[in-house]
Amino acid sequence: MSASRTTGARLSGAAGMNRRDALRLFGLGALGVAAAACAPSGGSTSNGGDTKAKNFGFSSWSLNEEASKPEVQKIISAWESSHKSKITTTAFPYNEYLQQLTLKLNGGEIQGAVHLDIAWLAAIAQMGKLKDLGKVAGKGGYTDVSLKSGQYDGVQYGLPWTTGSIGLIGNQKLLTEAGIKQHPTTIAEFEDALRALKELKGVTPYAAATKVAQLKDIFPWMQTFGCTILDGDKVTIGDDASVDAVEWYKKLHDEKLIAKDVDRFDARALFGQGTVGFYDDAVIGKGATLATAKEKGLAEQMVPVPRPVLKSGDQPRALLWGGVIAVVEGEGSDAATDFALHTTSDQATTVEYFSKLALPPTTTKGLADPKVAADTFTTDWTEKITKTATPGPFWAYAKNAQIEEAVAKQVQAVLVGQASGKDAMKKAGEEVSALIKG
Amino acid sequence: MTTAPPIAKSPDATGGPSRGTRGRRMSNGMFAFLLTVPGLALFGAIVLYPLIASLVTGFFEQDLRFPGRSWVGFDNYADVFAGDFAAILEHTLVFTVGATAAPFLIGLALALALNTGMKGSGFFRGLFLFPWVIPGVVVSFLWMWIFNANYGVLNGALIKTGLIEESISWLGEPGTAMLAVIITKTWASFPWMMVMLLAGLQTVPRELHEAAAVDGAGAVRRFFAVTWPGIRGVAAIALLLEFIWNFQHFDTIYVLTGGGPAGATETFAVAVYQDAFKGFDLGHATALGGLWMLLLLVLVGVYLKLSERETK
Repeated sequence: MSASRTTGARLSGAAGMNRRDALRLFGLGALGVAAAACAPSGGSTSNGGDTKAKNFGFSSWSLNEEASKPEVQKIISAWESSHKSKITTTAFPYNEYLQQLTLKLNGGEIQGAVHLDIAWLAAIAQMGKLKDLGKVAGKGGYTDVSLKSGQYDGVQYGLPWTTGSIGLIGNQKLLTEAGIKQHPTTIAEFEDALRALKELKGVTPYAAATKVAQLKDIFPWMQTFGCTILDGDKVTIGDDASVDAVEWYKKLHDEKLIAKDVDRFDARALFGQGTVGFYDDAVIGKGATLATAKEKGLAEQMVPVPRPVLKSGDQPRALLWGGVIAVVEGEGSDAATDFALHTTSDQATTVEYFSKLALPPTTTKGLADPKVAADTFTTDWTEKITKTATPGPFWAYAKNAQIEEAVAKQVQAVLVGQASGKDAMKKAGEEVSALIKG
Repeated sequence: MTTAPPIAKSPDATGGPSRGTRGRRMSNGMFAFLLTVPGLALFGAIVLYPLIASLVTGFFEQDLRFPGRSWVGFDNYADVFAGDFAAILEHTLVFTVGATAAPFLIGLALALALNTGMKGSGFFRGLFLFPWVIPGVVVSFLWMWIFNANYGVLNGALIKTGLIEESISWLGEPGTAMLAVIITKTWASFPWMMVMLLAGLQTVPRELHEAAAVDGAGAVRRFFAVTWPGIRGVAAIALLLEFIWNFQHFDTIYVLTGGGPAGATETFAVAVYQDAFKGFDLGHATALGGLWMLLLLVLVGVYLKLSERETK
């Protein structure tokens, strides 16, 4: 008998396993792997957990931004000490937030309260993990417009924290230096103003978004040029008006009236240095820009400017913007609901939040507070911009983010000269139509 | 004559091997196979399962956000080919070739310099390794600031020295974005090339150089006749490994450009990520990933052949 054979037999005896058993075991393992591979994967819809737990999570992009983080942290700390509970926070940068939240929510890693941009509510609500907050919404004293921003398909999924719009912010000091006596009201006047600003050394006339992340800002310009974007279920991107809008944007780009490679955060940084005439931002922009601004006295120079129109008498276009706090069903959802209600409607909390970040409250009482009512920037913004703002055309669709990105990529292709306005908008329209059907 | 020790016998109650187990004693091969079972189980769980699951998902329409999926056959593959596959392949190859060749040439030049035994070579070897130890994402952010169109250091320096009159959008123009990405990756990976080639250079006997010099060979001739044949094997392996890594590289491109502008730097890694985690389209992403993997397998096959030849 050979030594090797002896060793093999020894093992066989000790382990009680023969060749057939070993092959059986391996076969079972392989079968298990194959079966697992063929099993459908995807998110679970069950959330589980103790809904009455005192501790819960809170996810927000505001916890990732220098200006807002300390203020949100203050609200959290106050809640923790008054309720003897622990809030576990999660933060992602705004531009990555929807994607990260979706993945973690699907994996059951996100519990409690979640801060959502109103543009994302439909996509997240359709995942079936959010709690219906209809019963508590009535206790908040929210304005009707704000309350509606937290609804999807007739259900109140979010309590409104901020309701505003995205519009143009101007630097009055630079506008005056450039000899612009009145804010431009038409496209032609706007172009003249930009050319006048370009004459100032080192000034970017209009820090419009040119990176994909915020190129959704093109939508109000398309509407300004007469494109409805969506007519019922029919996508109208690709029509003459949308092509005109994109070619006009390209003209500004080629004349160096708008800067290259800019997103919202770049625009804020440049504006904060006092080198930008106009840029697009939400009402939060004032607080966020001033938090890192180097230019002294900039706060007094920031003015809301209604978006210029194609011809005199048209209605200025603006995109609604806002944030809600939604609650994930499951662990700690009751306490998270109370926290969401407190954060968005408690008078002292919301007015303090406004005084630090210039984000107006969403409650009737909050808006009537003397500190809020006396703020010229906020009241001007509401009157000049939010008044005519409309929701994003694709917010109701689960693939809103993909739709916005598809359009943005085509607009970028026009800006860098890879496609004509006509071809790019035709392609964008086709892609959006496919995404809507999908 | 040796006899088998008693322990080798089957623990049959009668003290002798039973009829049922006599023919089933485990061979060396089976014993070796059993030793690999834990490793195979791990491989199955963390490599084979996700791989098969991914390949299978390529035949389904599946949204990452929702449970359930539906069979679509080869539709996802057809979509991939009808879409930007050719452009993605081209961008991947341009990036891979550029980000492999540039660090190789820089690494080779530095390795040759350090191999001369010049004063302070130990210090410089350590210094040049510095970019390699910095995490890729940090390197990418660093270069993102350097290349920034509006307040980047590079534009500032070029304008101050009068080389350009106005800022260049390095990351915002298709013509310069890929170059910027390749430069960044080159900065991060030339040290590895340098170390590999330096190790190869140190195996080339000095006597050969001295003999060639005595025979009147100049520096260039000595490089091609003595040095290069000595390091050719190491260089081939280093080049191929770097090529494979670059073929699947993600972080530098994603941080710097996200695949833009207008898809000009969209490689397989970025496209699969965008499809799966931004578009939430798992079926399309895994179909593209499957094709990407097939291309990678060809490269891996070449690497294995090359390694085998080197070993022989």
